[in-house]
Amino acid sequence: MAEIEGKAEPTAHLPAETDGQGMIVAEQVKKWFGKFQALKGITTTIRRGEVVVIIGPSGSGKSTFIRCINRLERHDAGQIIVDGIELTDDIRDIHRIRSEIGMVFQSFNLFPHLTVLQNVTLAPRNVRKWPRAEAEQKGMNLLERVGIPEQAHKYPAQLSGGQQQRVAIARALAMEPKIMLFDEPTSALDPEMIKEVLDAMKELARSGMTMVVITHEIGFAKEVADRVLFFDEGQLIEEETPTRFFSQPQHQRTKLFLSQIL
Amino acid sequence: MGSLPEDLDRAPLLVEEEAVVELAPMAAPATPADWARRNLFSSWFSGLLTVVVGAGSVYLAYRLLRWVFVTADWTVVKANLRLFMAGRFPEEEIWRVWAVGYLVVFLAGASWGIAATKRAWSPARIVLRLVLLGLLVGTLVYLLEGVRIWLLIGAMAATFAVGIAVGRAGGRRLRLPLGVAWALAFPFVVVILRAFGGVPPRLWGGFVLNVLLAVVGIFLSFPVGILLALGRRSTLPAIRLFSVGFIEFIRGVPLVTLLIFGQFVLPLFLPPGMRLPDIIRAMTMFTIFSAAYVAEIVRGGMQGIPEGQYEAARALGLSTTRMMAMIILPQALRSTIPAMISHFISLFKDTSLIVILGLPELLSLARRAPVNLRFIGREKEALLAAALIFWVLAFSMSRWSQRLERRLGVGER
Repeated sequence: MAEIEGKAEPTAHLPAETDGQGMIVAEQVKKWFGKFQALKGITTTIRRGEVVVIIGPSGSGKSTFIRCINRLERHDAGQIIVDGIELTDDIRDIHRIRSEIGMVFQSFNLFPHLTVLQNVTLAPRNVRKWPRAEAEQKGMNLLERVGIPEQAHKYPAQLSGGQQQRVAIARALAMEPKIMLFDEPTSALDPEMIKEVLDAMKELARSGMTMVVITHEIGFAKEVADRVLFFDEGQLIEEETPTRFFSQPQHQRTKLFLSQIL
Repeated sequence: MGSLPEDLDRAPLLVEEEAVVELAPMAAPATPADWARRNLFSSWFSGLLTVVVGAGSVYLAYRLLRWVFVTADWTVVKANLRLFMAGRFPEEEIWRVWAVGYLVVFLAGASWGIAATKRAWSPARIVLRLVLLGLLVGTLVYLLEGVRIWLLIGAMAATFAVGIAVGRAGGRRLRLPLGVAWALAFPFVVVILRAFGGVPPRLWGGFVLNVLLAVVGIFLSFPVGILLALGRRSTLPAIRLFSVGFIEFIRGVPLVTLLIFGQFVLPLFLPPGMRLPDIIRAMTMFTIFSAAYVAEIVRGGMQGIPEGQYEAARALGLSTTRMMAMIILPQALRSTIPAMISHFISLFKDTSLIVILGLPELLSLARRAPVNLRFIGREKEALLAAALIFWVLAFSMSRWSQRLERRLGVGER
């Protein structure tokens, strides 16, 4: 990981040139829960290697949107294309896309009956069919990367919240995903543990991972995000680089929201 | 590595630790009189209770012991012990029953050994063990005569001990092989009893029959019940409807009805001319009955699993089958151990209901034994003996489930 440390700071904010195709392309994505419309037509493109932070009030549809990207929720209209594969009802496509996308949840969702290392190696061994030794080797490397190799043989309940969330990040990375989704990864943590998780995420962002992060950590957004999306009432109100977003928001609702959280 | 945080755990804690809440100190009682004053006579009401309950217990114990050792005549049990245990199994083929016994005892020992926990031997536990062991040996000394049977019993105890040793040595790794072994035990037992000029099922009887029915019912209904529980949550309407209908129908019907039904309804599903022995029909109905209950127990366990576990498994790309087998069921089943074992204990006791099919199980044999002129008026002895035989096994199962819970509870959640 030494090579990424020397990465020049400004390049992170320039749009990474790709072959013209986005890693995640969302086109007029709509979603209803009963009569309530959670997403009212979201259109955006997330490029390879881009770090996107989504903010917005609760109930704004931001969580629903990223859960549509890996099909934890089914979108009712519109189109989502992930790494060139369109999300349809075809279960094989869904499995393929899910194994390319890592997801980190607000409440960690580690498997309590498995040790930390078993949590990390479960999917590689059973979905990717790696041999046990190889999976464990890579699993240990990942635990080292998030700074907790010595916890490998403990059970999740024996770890602090911050450690559990770092295990969850390692578990998602173990599948060698092309995209990482974070759904409020630090909201359930005690204040003193937020930094350790954010540090692991920053390291990941600098390594060139495509990331979509729902968070209210403005410092994190300013430091590593290439773009900030603002959601409100199921709509994408504004998208901007973090510098412009936080200093000169264009929309009235954005201004109002920022005035409440800053 | 540089940008990563050092492990925060190792940083010294600056916060003063608050005192842990402690129990009020309680001085150990100095003398037995002290202890009695504090625990038995702390107020006039508790003193009164102590006296009344104490006097009642002494009276009951006196009457019971007097009956057991003076009034009762246990020859009815002694003379009929083989009948109770193996029914009318021909004597020259009785070795087959012993072979089955060794097999089951070995598997039971290994299961016991797997669930072993390291616990300190408190004096109270040692005394309890010694008393139980003494009672068991004393009873056997009274009941069994002849060197041969003692050798056989001794060998059985040794088999159990070997099973425990194997179970302990193997630990968790043995769980799957042992489960498979239990599942295969039934066909194997049938082979032992039947093959090479063996004994037809209509001559099987006694406690062996009860155990056989229980083991088959438990080990077949367990997987069927899990499938039904999964079926009940399936997204496919046909499977869901079938599961719900099956579970609700079976649970709403008394077991006795099912057993009688089995005699008339099962043949409808068989090719004409094919006749199943009564005992196989009984086993089928027991399995069906138990599966419906297992399904509901498993469903209850699955409802306790947070939605996040499903989402995390799906997000990792696990298929539904793998998600259920590796994430959901292991957690759900663990939490259902107490309910599951208690269901299996009652299933085991319910095996005495096959008496209504005229099958010679332990309880019916015990009731009929006093018909013999020699033992007229000895119903109490025979029934108590049968009850005790049931109790020993049911109690062992309950203890085993407690060990299993303790064992599985360690460090996991």
